[in-house]
Amino acid sequence: MSRRPALHAFTVQRLGASVLITTAVAALAAPFVAPHETDRRFPGLLNAPPTAVRLRDAAGSWRAPFIYPWTRVSQLEQRYEEDRTSPVPLAWLATGRLVASSDDGRAPLLLLGADSFGRDVFSRLLFGARLSLALALLAALGATLIGALLGGVAGYVGGVVDDVMMRASDFVLVLPAMYVALVLRAMMPLTLDAPAVFALLAAIFAVVGSPFIARGVRAIVRTERALDYAAAAASLGAGHARVLCRHLLPAARGFLVVEITLLVPAFIVAEATLSYVGLGFPDTIASWGTMLEDASNIAAFADFPWLLSPAAAMFLVVWGLNLTLQNRSAGAQYERLM
Amino acid sequence: MVASVRTEPQSFNWYTQHDGTTDVLTFLTQARLVRVNRVTQEIEPWLAERWTRADDGRSYTVKLRANVTFADGHPFSADDVLFSFAAAYDPKGGGPTIGGDVMAGGQPLRVSAPDPLTVVITFPVPFAPGLRLLDNLPILPKHKLEAALQAGTFADAWSLSTPVSEITGLGPFVLTDFRPGQRLVFSRNDRYFRKDSSGVPLPYLDRVVVDIVPDQNGQVLRLETGQADMMTSEARPEDYAALKRAADRGRVQLVDLGGALDADSFWINLKPGAFGADPRATWLQRDELRQAISFGVDRKAFADTVFLGAGVPVYGPVTPANRKWFSSAVPQTPYDPARAEALLAGIGLTDGNGDGMLEDARGVAARFSLTTQKGQTALERGAQVLRDELKKIGLAVDIVALEGNAAVARFVSGQGYEAAYFHIGMTDVDPALQTEYWLSAGGFHVWNLGQKTPATAWERQIDELMARQTAALDEGERKRTFDEVQKIFAEHLPVVHFAAPRIFMAASSRVMGLTPAVQRPQFLWSPDSLWVRP
Repeated sequence: MSRRPALHAFTVQRLGASVLITTAVAALAAPFVAPHETDRRFPGLLNAPPTAVRLRDAAGSWRAPFIYPWTRVSQLEQRYEEDRTSPVPLAWLATGRLVASSDDGRAPLLLLGADSFGRDVFSRLLFGARLSLALALLAALGATLIGALLGGVAGYVGGVVDDVMMRASDFVLVLPAMYVALVLRAMMPLTLDAPAVFALLAAIFAVVGSPFIARGVRAIVRTERALDYAAAAASLGAGHARVLCRHLLPAARGFLVVEITLLVPAFIVAEATLSYVGLGFPDTIASWGTMLEDASNIAAFADFPWLLSPAAAMFLVVWGLNLTLQNRSAGAQYERLM
Repeated sequence: MVASVRTEPQSFNWYTQHDGTTDVLTFLTQARLVRVNRVTQEIEPWLAERWTRADDGRSYTVKLRANVTFADGHPFSADDVLFSFAAAYDPKGGGPTIGGDVMAGGQPLRVSAPDPLTVVITFPVPFAPGLRLLDNLPILPKHKLEAALQAGTFADAWSLSTPVSEITGLGPFVLTDFRPGQRLVFSRNDRYFRKDSSGVPLPYLDRVVVDIVPDQNGQVLRLETGQADMMTSEARPEDYAALKRAADRGRVQLVDLGGALDADSFWINLKPGAFGADPRATWLQRDELRQAISFGVDRKAFADTVFLGAGVPVYGPVTPANRKWFSSAVPQTPYDPARAEALLAGIGLTDGNGDGMLEDARGVAARFSLTTQKGQTALERGAQVLRDELKKIGLAVDIVALEGNAAVARFVSGQGYEAAYFHIGMTDVDPALQTEYWLSAGGFHVWNLGQKTPATAWERQIDELMARQTAALDEGERKRTFDEVQKIFAEHLPVVHFAAPRIFMAASSRVMGLTPAVQRPQFLWSPDSLWVRP
């Protein structure tokens, strides 16, 4: 690869990584960064728009960062106007939070507006990221582990074991993954607490996602097993497990990276879908899926677009993941060229 | 004119299916002997020209309009009325029939026809609503359906596979085309019996198309963009802003009908033994729990949040929209969390471990599941707000959102649910026509339905008062008696009501002659007077 395309790939990879790191840091620091608890309701501010943080007041004077309170113009139409007569300064590092309004009762800081229950969308987005991303990552790792193990064994052992395992994988593959997840979740009790739902969804996603990994790994292991280096390792006394894990499975590393980039976004969307239809996290828990349920009305697109911020966040994460992992080799080559 | 519904009809026969779209179809194609005017809530002559009541108050002689014919040209006579009653009481119905809707005191009416234009209807018991009952009985064509009734296949007659040419009636329109999942097309019935005050034959419209649009977002969009002239059901609170903008631009007329006739309903399963050996049974079925829940919810905030400001607080099953039977004397529970906590403490629910949530004397958490209907935004939002409100008084609620039929099956069986948050629609404003709800033996007495004998003293008292109320012919006495029923209900609160939505209806600004009413179908209950501006 020449230096110019490699530079482009490196830049793109850095950009993707920045998006992911920013998201991860924001999610991890949610209790500190989020101005409110996820279940805090502001009854007079249903579907209120984002509050703009300002430095100049209505008279044109510069001030420390402040916001204007929202005044409800029409309750039925959910229309609000800024009350420019009474700026409210922001309070930094007060009550254990990075920033919040100094008068939460009158003018809460709603950086991404409020949802239809009057809850802060920004705070819920940050806390939701913890749940949605952790679930997707855990499930993708689980699917990788199960898939690599099954595919590796099938490809290495061959014969009847290979046939049975691959037919089972085929069976799961031909089933529409989302419906399988829906059915499996629907078989469980309807009311489960959040940790139980988390574990359950992670397990379901891992099982549903594993055949995609297993088939690819099986093909790679089967090909690699016939190569000389595998025979050499065996002739030097390496056991089956060592040959498989130490020599054959590493050959599938590139494939696994690509599959993870596909599974993580798929699981983020799957969580959103299950929560959206009421089979994911309970609505008391902020996840990107439960948040999107509030944006299911057509009015959200036109009147309350801030309710779609979980969809924007999902797009950013998936985009960042793709940029990072798919430009990984080109980025590495650029570093060598340097 | 193009209207839209969300689901296709279950049948073309309202006697066997009562879903909303079949209801709309029936209003368009059929007619009754008397009709309840949805605006005045009073009855008015329809196919019946006039009637007289015998001195015993139980027998009515009804004179039918002369020279009325069905849409297919067959003359209408008293035989069709007799046939319609026979079909309603058909023991081989095989499915949900309207029989119960045209009975008095659980018994069928006796009907005879001394001549082709006279019908004598005798009630088995004194029955105050009288002929109001007949609003539930669209008159069917004997010449089309008699064979099915005699063969015992009436329940399957006029199913969706029946050719539309077979469907006829006395209503203003005739069904001329049905495309499953797409639309129903109705043409003007040139033989319709009504004329307007100037003598112009009704209906004014030549054609009504009812598009089937499963998603209400799609319905609103169609109305906004001029692809539809009306939605047959009320707008959701979240649709208000968009419709208001369209109204401001002059495209849509948005009608505020005020509070709905039916409020939301919260109840706890009071069927004896419903909780088995569950230790929570000792407090779950106590009156004090429901009273505490009623005190523990700020109804104004509840209505504002659940209906996005388009709701009104209510305190009983009869809302102010029911002008005749609503009683302002019924006690209204104020928002009083301290009182709620005291009531809960009175039945042994206290915060023993200091976590802010209550437990009973054995340390069992004061927690119950709340079953509601999935996909109904107002119910799901209401359940969520209810859970948050009850948490403030220490009660933990787990929401179980089920598909509508699954939820109803649990309520009917009295098994598999602990508490419910649901919408109960009353069929008529007159309480004597809602006995299935009020009487302990009623099939709609949701908290403990179908009791052989009243389970409690207060339910026995309501049974007695309702029997008196239904039989009394003096309207003042009926009102006083029903006020008493509402007071007993408010005292024991078998069902707690929090809010009723404000009903907003939207139609294209070119639709004229609208007579909107709070009862469904709000626009199409009187379709013969509608017309569209070119």
